[in-house]
Amino acid sequence: MRDSDRKQYAARAVDRFVKGRMDRRQFLRTAGQLGLGATALGTGLGARPFWTPKAHADAHAALKPSDEVLAWVRDVSAPFRGTTLKLATESTPPSNAINSQLKQYFEEASGMTVEIEVLPLEQVLQKLTLDIASQLGTYDLYYIDQSWAAFTARDVFDPREQLAANPDLAMPGWAVEDFLPALVDGIARYEDSLVGVPYDIPIFIFMYRKDIYEQMGFSAPTSLEEYYEQAKAITDEMGPDMYGATGQMKSGHYSLECDWTAWLWGHGGSIFDADGKFAGNDERGLEAMEYWRRLYGTMPPGVTGWTWDGQGQSIAQGVAATMMSWGEFFPYFDDPSATKVSGLMEAVRCPAPKHALRTVDETGFGEIPGVGHQGGSSLAVSRNSKNPDPAWIFMQWATSYDTQVLITALGGGTGPTRTAVYDDPRIIANNRVGPGTTRHLGVVRETIANDMGSEPDLPEWAELANDTIPVRLGKYFAGEYSSNKEAMDDIAQAADKIVSG
Amino acid sequence: MPAVTSAKAVFSSDHPLPWLFPLIAMLVVFTIYPLIYNIWLSFHEYAPFRRELEYVGTDNWVALWNDERFWGSLSVTLTYFVVVLIIELVLGMAIALLLDADLAGFGVMRGLLTLTLVIPPAITGMMFLLIQDAEFGVLTWVLEQVGVLDGTAPILSTPSTALLGVMLADIWQWTPFMVLIFLAGLRGLPGEPYEAAMLDGASGWQIFRRITLPQLSKVIAIAVLLRGIDLFRMFDYVFVMTSGGPGTATYTLSLYAWQQTFSFIKWGYGATISLVSLVLILVIANLFIWIAKVRW
Repeated sequence: MRDSDRKQYAARAVDRFVKGRMDRRQFLRTAGQLGLGATALGTGLGARPFWTPKAHADAHAALKPSDEVLAWVRDVSAPFRGTTLKLATESTPPSNAINSQLKQYFEEASGMTVEIEVLPLEQVLQKLTLDIASQLGTYDLYYIDQSWAAFTARDVFDPREQLAANPDLAMPGWAVEDFLPALVDGIARYEDSLVGVPYDIPIFIFMYRKDIYEQMGFSAPTSLEEYYEQAKAITDEMGPDMYGATGQMKSGHYSLECDWTAWLWGHGGSIFDADGKFAGNDERGLEAMEYWRRLYGTMPPGVTGWTWDGQGQSIAQGVAATMMSWGEFFPYFDDPSATKVSGLMEAVRCPAPKHALRTVDETGFGEIPGVGHQGGSSLAVSRNSKNPDPAWIFMQWATSYDTQVLITALGGGTGPTRTAVYDDPRIIANNRVGPGTTRHLGVVRETIANDMGSEPDLPEWAELANDTIPVRLGKYFAGEYSSNKEAMDDIAQAADKIVSG
Repeated sequence: MPAVTSAKAVFSSDHPLPWLFPLIAMLVVFTIYPLIYNIWLSFHEYAPFRRELEYVGTDNWVALWNDERFWGSLSVTLTYFVVVLIIELVLGMAIALLLDADLAGFGVMRGLLTLTLVIPPAITGMMFLLIQDAEFGVLTWVLEQVGVLDGTAPILSTPSTALLGVMLADIWQWTPFMVLIFLAGLRGLPGEPYEAAMLDGASGWQIFRRITLPQLSKVIAIAVLLRGIDLFRMFDYVFVMTSGGPGTATYTLSLYAWQQTFSFIKWGYGATISLVSLVLILVIANLFIWIAKVRW
């Protein structure tokens, strides 16, 4: 059987098993015919953490790295057998899929050990900054949130540099050009260098309860004002059992800054102007704050204590009807064993901005305004690593086409960062209601192409995005400022002081 | 065998130095050196682009003096320190006096008091985060039922109540510690003064104020000092429950020092904040010892 036929066959088997049209015994027999080992078949019945669908863990035992890829790993890793690689990463679908189900194949083929620490985002930042400051090389690979790109640029290898320096270690067909160009620019590029390659792409899309929208006679909103009117109507009609909108608005947390940028950019504003001064307190910025304040009134009362986890839970548990947030949530919502809303959610592009978006030239530090806030991350090899070559092999494998397909399937329908992965038959096979669905990926792809907003790149951004801005926004929603202007002027003063050094 | 002879001489000596040496060595390594390094660090700052510590003179101290966030954190820390200490002290003493009576079942209750102490504070923080959750928290529900909360202002997301919400976790976990210390003190008190006071017709309050309190003063002083120092460097609960928010309503000095040191790699500034905390703890502790006239 040709490799492509085997993939098609596996995808169909997976689809039938997930839909319940094939029992476990029959699925195992089919998988066995595909030449899979007993070890692979025995995995995946344990409880699953958030964002790692369990139903798929069993079904997707039929999915494993291609023989060609594993042969390359085996061949190129021969001098490095026995090496241990370390990576600290956020708990995201790619990392969870690699850590729990895929790295075993890499380890078996390469003879290396890969230790992956899965941590909350703020702890990843802490470990990364300490490793950079101490230059100890504790971690061989860095998981770099796009907001840290400028801060880490000098401490990681540019993948183009690694490709040129190590042609013998280059994975056949692996090229930076294969990644979505918008993601390379928005996530991995800092000035002229590449801070690794795009690894994951959580991005804001609009998700809503189809049943509630039908009940209310609404269709998906096309403008921000229409969205507010719908959210208000739902809260007025169904509250406090159901709220029209939700958010990730915990004071002092990065998630609050993410929400803010979507409304800011959506009202034609920007974080910085062309002179590098904070611009969130200009007319457009204040208009955005006024909109956000009104929308906040349609959200559940606990929203100011939630990060993205609480926001996702509010949809999953049927407390809120809509959210403009990370598309990665969508497959989780479709999992009937984990949520109350399986099959009830729909995904569309975010409502159109109220005013024309500012251009990159009108903003500062490479900021790209867009209602689809992206929170992507890149994967890069640390310059402090004692094992840069083995780490480079792992990085190519982890971001290869083959591995991304498996991540997207096993990791619960997360958005791939490579163009071709969206069209892979194994991904298309999951375009149906159920855990790990990929039925939202068309929207993700359109959003990346048309609506994507990226934060500015400057070394101080990590402090601004994780403290200066969200702490003061938290004070704003706690009622500690008398007006939108007072709040934004306070942020402006603090931000400009930090940026000017 | 000169080596054996000299070792024998050292260990048979009446001079205290050989016996104090291990303790002195440990103090130097674990206390004095870090303290001196911290002082040195407060006059330096990490330069991320040069990847080195550079001398900045008194910049960190001047910046600290002008830093509103520092003064805000200090205010939160002092408020937390005073309120929690008083509540734990009063509540701990009241419960200890109650449990000192040997009624049936009180032995078991005294044993159960140790349970909260073995729970890691971060776990306690998580528990109280859920208890005070705006959607399904049991405390939120109870307070809404009795009309204290109206459902629009979650405890931990409202500036006026967030610190109280955090304090609750601390009081729940550490009041039993006070109870156990006071109980141990009460059990060691002689019975004669009480018998004499009762014969003289003294009231319960007079007995407590004139006999129990004076005799327990050293025990109380130890409990207050231990808890006071703990409260001043409180970190776990705010880290888990509020991250210092809403806004800066629950930002303590420890959390601020941690953030500056580990999140923003401002090692010098973080060291400066830590030093101020240390000085404040020393001043307050010594002031307390002086005021309470504790003689160790």
